[in-house]
Amino acid sequence: MNDQLDKLWKKIMQDMQQKVSHANFHTLFKNTYLISLEENIATVAVPSTIIIDLLQKRFAKDIQELLTTYHGSDVSLLFVPKVVHQQKEGGETPLFATEVVRQKPLTVGHLPRVRPDFTFQNFAVSASNQLAFASAQTVAATIGTAYNPLFLYGPVGVGKTHLMHAIANDVYQQNPMNNVVYITSEEFTNEVVDAIRSHETARMKKRFRTARLLIIDDIQFIEGKDATQEELFHTFNILIDSGSQICLTSDRPPHEIKKLEARLSSRFAGGLTVDIAAPDFELKAAIVGIKAKKYGYDIPPDVTSILAERAEDTRSLEGLLLRVITQATNLNKPITVELAEDALGNMLEEKRQHLHADDIINYVCSYYQIKPTQLRGPRRTASLVKARQVAMYLIHEELRLTLVEIGNLLGGRDHTTIIHGVEKIKSLVDNKEKITEDIMGITKSIRG
Amino acid sequence: MKLTLLTRNLQQKLSFLNRAISTKNQLPVLLNILIETREHAIKLSSTDLEIGIEVLCPAQIEEQGSTTVPARIFTELVTSLTDETLILQTKENKLEASTKRTKSVFQTVSSEEFPRLYETKGEKLTSLSGKEVKKEFASVVFAASTDTARPALSGVLVRKESQGFLLVATDGYRLSLRHYKANRNLTGESASFIIPARVFRELMAMKEDDSDIDVYVSREHNQVIFEQGDTRLIGRLIEAEFPNFEKIIPSDFSMSVSFEREELLNAVKTCSVFARDSAKIIKLSLTKEYIVVSSGASAVGENTVDVEASLSGEENEIAFNARYLLDVLGNIEEKEMVFDMIGPLNPGIFKIKGDESFLHLIMPIRVQG
Repeated sequence: MNDQLDKLWKKIMQDMQQKVSHANFHTLFKNTYLISLEENIATVAVPSTIIIDLLQKRFAKDIQELLTTYHGSDVSLLFVPKVVHQQKEGGETPLFATEVVRQKPLTVGHLPRVRPDFTFQNFAVSASNQLAFASAQTVAATIGTAYNPLFLYGPVGVGKTHLMHAIANDVYQQNPMNNVVYITSEEFTNEVVDAIRSHETARMKKRFRTARLLIIDDIQFIEGKDATQEELFHTFNILIDSGSQICLTSDRPPHEIKKLEARLSSRFAGGLTVDIAAPDFELKAAIVGIKAKKYGYDIPPDVTSILAERAEDTRSLEGLLLRVITQATNLNKPITVELAEDALGNMLEEKRQHLHADDIINYVCSYYQIKPTQLRGPRRTASLVKARQVAMYLIHEELRLTLVEIGNLLGGRDHTTIIHGVEKIKSLVDNKEKITEDIMGITKSIRG
Repeated sequence: MKLTLLTRNLQQKLSFLNRAISTKNQLPVLLNILIETREHAIKLSSTDLEIGIEVLCPAQIEEQGSTTVPARIFTELVTSLTDETLILQTKENKLEASTKRTKSVFQTVSSEEFPRLYETKGEKLTSLSGKEVKKEFASVVFAASTDTARPALSGVLVRKESQGFLLVATDGYRLSLRHYKANRNLTGESASFIIPARVFRELMAMKEDDSDIDVYVSREHNQVIFEQGDTRLIGRLIEAEFPNFEKIIPSDFSMSVSFEREELLNAVKTCSVFARDSAKIIKLSLTKEYIVVSSGASAVGENTVDVEASLSGEENEIAFNARYLLDVLGNIEEKEMVFDMIGPLNPGIFKIKGDESFLHLIMPIRVQG
């Protein structure tokens, strides 16, 4: 079809849109095209004779006038019943796709967007992610049949993406002919938008709807994106119907993703939903071992535990580890506790400089829901005392202020009171009492 | 316009007319039924622009004329009437419907606004015998796609053959094919066209008795008309290329098994309870004496049903989407069927035992382990 004609028709349609109500416009002018304009006769394709009759009665004159204005000379108008399919038929459906010779081709290279080093073998497993690991392995071994979709959720740096890459790699290794599509939900949205803009929805549809395994990372970002959700919904149905596997990750369970259409959220939850908790100490230690091996280093156990203690998630763990390793190579020294403390010490200092004692007091107060004046005040009810001691402990640990300074900050208390408070909380923490959770919570908000 | 008719006659016609009334996003006049007087009858029309319906209803005409009335309200009112005769009369821009005891007044829209459903009927293609042909259509139409993005797949291919018609529908995952033997002479030249599945569905809902169905086609107007008794159904043809289905129909099989249709249907229904949670996968294990139908969702449970069957060839396994199995087994009326296959990755074929005219192909689901 001719671009010029298309443009002309579009212009006329824009004008018509202002004369006709939206509903009417949609019913009457949808799928109409100007297919030729020769010797002052404009031929317009309209899907059915019934619509032609309506157009003749109501708008033929308007359209003719507009055509004449834009074209420059008198134009007569002819409607023909013809359905114009603007989109090319999007690829072959499974039934009509010719069978390829079933010989296992060589596995060459790796999948686009998928890190080849993220495999099941180098994924450290402990209680917090054991279920997720097992279900991911099952899914990779029996794609499309076991849990469909597989929905993993959990906070950052717990290994959701690692598991997704591992599934992709495993499926690809089994048979490189398997069409594996790995994409983040942001990229998915972009593809949908691009396709709509460039009128190439068929190609996009083909790409996603022929996948044997479709992985969408961080699905929560489709919140409130209606067109994307619609596309995903259809893709979802087609893939599930044809026995393909879908895997999704998110930072929260499906029903907590807001502005998500109900039909999607129920579909997300239709397979297996597994959460991955933040790694515990042992897991973090194990991860240090695996990561260090990747970089070709051996980390002594006491250094490992320092790293595991300091890092909150696996991503920062890798950062800390790299810092220690860099320090060791720079100074050409073996990795020891001193070297690690030295390397990490700087980093902690950097952070502390921005932190002020008042901030800590504020965090503690908001955590226990009391006022700073109460914290500094003279009352000694059990709950106030607890909060006060936690504040002493945290200021002492985080800022390394002197006991007298801390005493002054907290309403002019004696330094022996501070010693007692700090010691008490320390012993509770060491014995993993319930207060540890409070401390963790506050520390987390302090560190942002 | 003024006329008298039998309430019962009108009541029978109205429900079918309402099938072409769509409530969404339409021109107001399309929510109305067009009433026009003819000789000794009135003609009622409705359309949603995709299809159109026209029916004739006998009436005594006193004064010629035409008008349109809101379809839903008019239908509801007329179906609630119990008096034998009904008088319809236009007064200015209103329509009065009165019986011995009731009198109702409808707001109307000028009949000028109502679109003409067709200009000419076109060339008469054939005449089909009523009841039988609807049954044959039913065994094909369900396989068509409901996705209008692929126009060719949303229709049924009708191709003239030496002794009748070939009907084919597919949605890209399964395909239904039927040779229909016309037992009378065919007229007309046109070789093949694609008619929207929707038109066939409405045709099957047409509640005329078993009188013949005349089919008219006009290439020029891109239109098809089915006419049975006093009812006409108008649809448009789909202009698209139908996929080359011949090349995917296999000719030799490694295995063939025959079974009772209803038994397998019930077995699949039972198994689909579990299949719901595992991508609707139903596995068929084909052994010498049984078809073992099974399904399972690892989180819920699993079940198997044995269906008696007799097999020739090698034993094998294949898995299908439950919905596709239910569709094919549920839309056939014959008692005994045959299933042929080549391998678990090739399409499986359902046939009617001793009847070469029907064939249904389903793409299997790959299952590991």
